[in-house]
Amino acid sequence: MEPYAITGLGLVSALGVGYPAFEQGLANWPHGQNLFREQTTLLDPTKVSAPLVAECHDFDAKQYLGDKGLRNFDRLTKLLIVSGKLALEDADLKRDGVHRLTPDRIGLCSATAYGSLEAITEMVLVTELEDPRFLNPNRFPNTVINASAGYVSIWEDLRAPNVTVVDGNCGALDAVLSGETHLLNGRADAFLVGGGEALSDALYTAFRKLGVLADGGRTFAPGRAESQGMLLGEGAAYLCIEQLAFAQARGARVRAHIVGYGNAFEPPNSEAVLVHVSHLAVERTIRMALKDARLSPGDIDVVASAQSGIVAFDAAERAGIVAVFGDDSAIATPKAIFGETFGAGGALAMACAVAWLEGVPVAPLLQGECRRAPKHVLLLAVGYYGNASAVVLRGQG
Amino acid sequence: MGPFAIALGEMSRVFVTGLGVISSLGFGRDEYWRNVVDGRSGFSVIAGFDTHGFDRSVAGEVRGFNARDFLSAAEARRMGRCSAYALAAARMAVEHSLLSTEQLAGDRTSVVIGTTMGEANLLGELEYAWVRGGSDAVLTKKLPLCGSTLLPIHIARAVGARGMVQTLPAACAAGNYSIAYAADLIRLGRADIVICGAAELLQKTQFAGFVRLGAVAPERCQPFDKNRRGLIIGEGAGMLVLESEAHAVRRHANVLAEVGGAGLACDAYHITRPHPEGTGSWKAMHDAIARSGVTPADVDFVNAHGTGTHANDKIESLVIREVFGERRIPISSMKGTLGHCMGAASALEAVACVMTVQTGVYPPTVSYETPDPECDVNLVANQAQSGRSDIVLNNALAFGGYDAVVAFAKPGVLPDPTLVAQSLAAASGRVAPAAFGHSL
Repeated sequence: MEPYAITGLGLVSALGVGYPAFEQGLANWPHGQNLFREQTTLLDPTKVSAPLVAECHDFDAKQYLGDKGLRNFDRLTKLLIVSGKLALEDADLKRDGVHRLTPDRIGLCSATAYGSLEAITEMVLVTELEDPRFLNPNRFPNTVINASAGYVSIWEDLRAPNVTVVDGNCGALDAVLSGETHLLNGRADAFLVGGGEALSDALYTAFRKLGVLADGGRTFAPGRAESQGMLLGEGAAYLCIEQLAFAQARGARVRAHIVGYGNAFEPPNSEAVLVHVSHLAVERTIRMALKDARLSPGDIDVVASAQSGIVAFDAAERAGIVAVFGDDSAIATPKAIFGETFGAGGALAMACAVAWLEGVPVAPLLQGECRRAPKHVLLLAVGYYGNASAVVLRGQG
Repeated sequence: MGPFAIALGEMSRVFVTGLGVISSLGFGRDEYWRNVVDGRSGFSVIAGFDTHGFDRSVAGEVRGFNARDFLSAAEARRMGRCSAYALAAARMAVEHSLLSTEQLAGDRTSVVIGTTMGEANLLGELEYAWVRGGSDAVLTKKLPLCGSTLLPIHIARAVGARGMVQTLPAACAAGNYSIAYAADLIRLGRADIVICGAAELLQKTQFAGFVRLGAVAPERCQPFDKNRRGLIIGEGAGMLVLESEAHAVRRHANVLAEVGGAGLACDAYHITRPHPEGTGSWKAMHDAIARSGVTPADVDFVNAHGTGTHANDKIESLVIREVFGERRIPISSMKGTLGHCMGAASALEAVACVMTVQTGVYPPTVSYETPDPECDVNLVANQAQSGRSDIVLNNALAFGGYDAVVAFAKPGVLPDPTLVAQSLAAASGRVAPAAFGHSL
């Protein structure tokens, strides 16, 4: 693909709210606090006992959005709106609440894997245990998966296409292609791409039932054989992308470039299997992204892997990486910091990659070495049903 | 030339070569189209869940659907009903296209599917078990079946596709979003074949929500009628096989229609109400026409969103009048027969648009009795009509202000998409931001 400029970043993460806080938190991370805590304000201890999560503890939407109009927003919507607002400001597309481009030239492509389970739980509770007539009609729209992204466009007055992508863990990277496609087709001049996921009782209960969580004293070590599961986190991030010539023409600061994208799907060998991971899909998506970026494996300084701590998935992803890059490439594991954040995962990883490209030391590194301010980072996302996606970012250096 | 033009190369035409339908009006394109044209009702008293306490009980529910008629035993076991609708319709579309297993296999075939809620009934079931009986009551084996991302995964597995698998939830515009994105992938050379469309399941939480919003009519849906009282919820799946021109020509495919331009916009106004001036809807219609390389005068028919709600029909009428001016273009809404199938609505209506292009028949808007001065449009009322059908538009205007309009045309009618793109790029002016600060 032709290079696209990343001109802004806005995010809400367990490391901090806003890119400067995130960048600082990432730089300090090896010496900082473990973000996974049993203390959580989001999960009900009567429904979820002794959870271990990376919550965005410092996040208060009112600090960014004011007091009014938030009553019917769920957690996911608040995470996304604040991320969108911060991304627009970081890209200098909005200053003091005023658009620098006309609103119909800014679009949004937002990923989420599960939407608002909080809202769905609330509706089910009222419908099944009380009386359907007591449903709050103002909160019903939150059950619709794309509602949270719709609220971002409403809040920020973005009138170019608003797209929601649901591709499980691959959503945020796939959002890049969606945004790029709309830019290429002239449907907008700038696109916010990324995604978000919110913690909820239902989400935690589901993954605990599946037996894949490393809570209760089990080992959490993404990418390592001794890992006994993953941990959950939350967050949201948007990158503002523009065609490079357009960004340069408007004098935008370019933080990094998106230069390649790949995706692939491979089915399992058995008709009886649903959940599976394919090293072939991982390998193919990497090769496709490299080809799209017109790069060879040796050009990539570090792979930001999607390894989350589930050994079978991590091993397959590693096999795909090794098939392209060999045994000793530098591999980083952003999910060791944030946990599995599903629709937000690729977006938070891209935020890490931008920070690395801008000079923040690459961490956490699972293996290999990476120089300060690398030139190219390849990011991976691996789905639970055989799909995988990759994006290549290039720094300014 | 701006960056838009710099980035663009040759763009392929996109053809529709297969159609598949699961609906309350029948399975398969022929039965469905026959019932649509005859103005038959797909409405019945809901059997799928208890409607006690809702004060509404009618929907366009799919009846007589047995997943095993379309799916293998293993497939039926590993998917929920929404996925089963999607896969059944996709299989029909593939069969209709006469694409072979070999032609479909590989990474040049992608699957892009729209939905509003996906397997929300499964999710609701699990949530219900959880709130009633706690974690122990949740059936672990059902958890992996809930992912909305599964709809295209199931189809990709079934047909051997190895390219992109993507779910696009865009509320009631999901079908058009899917078709528009699929066409983009082909035009830009990123796929040769894309199976696209949308599926939706009638389910209790969604029904309850729309009833509480006051949007559901008691027994019938009367789009654009003065006395309209709201929508009737429906369900189903509409699937299309799209192919690049080169691929279709190479295999001597039976081309049903060409996918023209798509207009996508966001009202950015209110989560459930349309913009009072219909700005997003207007832009979507305008762009779909412009991106097809034609003018409003060239469009023959509009398959309207026409939900039967007061706000939608009034604003959509206003927008249609603004787009077409003095010309009273024939329009129709199928939601009086099919109901509002949410995410699947515009996919099912897209199938009808292709049939209109093929047959020259405009489907009727049923239950139309009393003209509404606020809906001053040339409605195909109660009886199907025949007319010119070179170019038709499919409108979808959804929750969250999602506006998506797609054009379908007889093959060979539309100008070369590469020339259209170049022309639009030239019209957009210089690289300077100001030159790009206006819509096409």
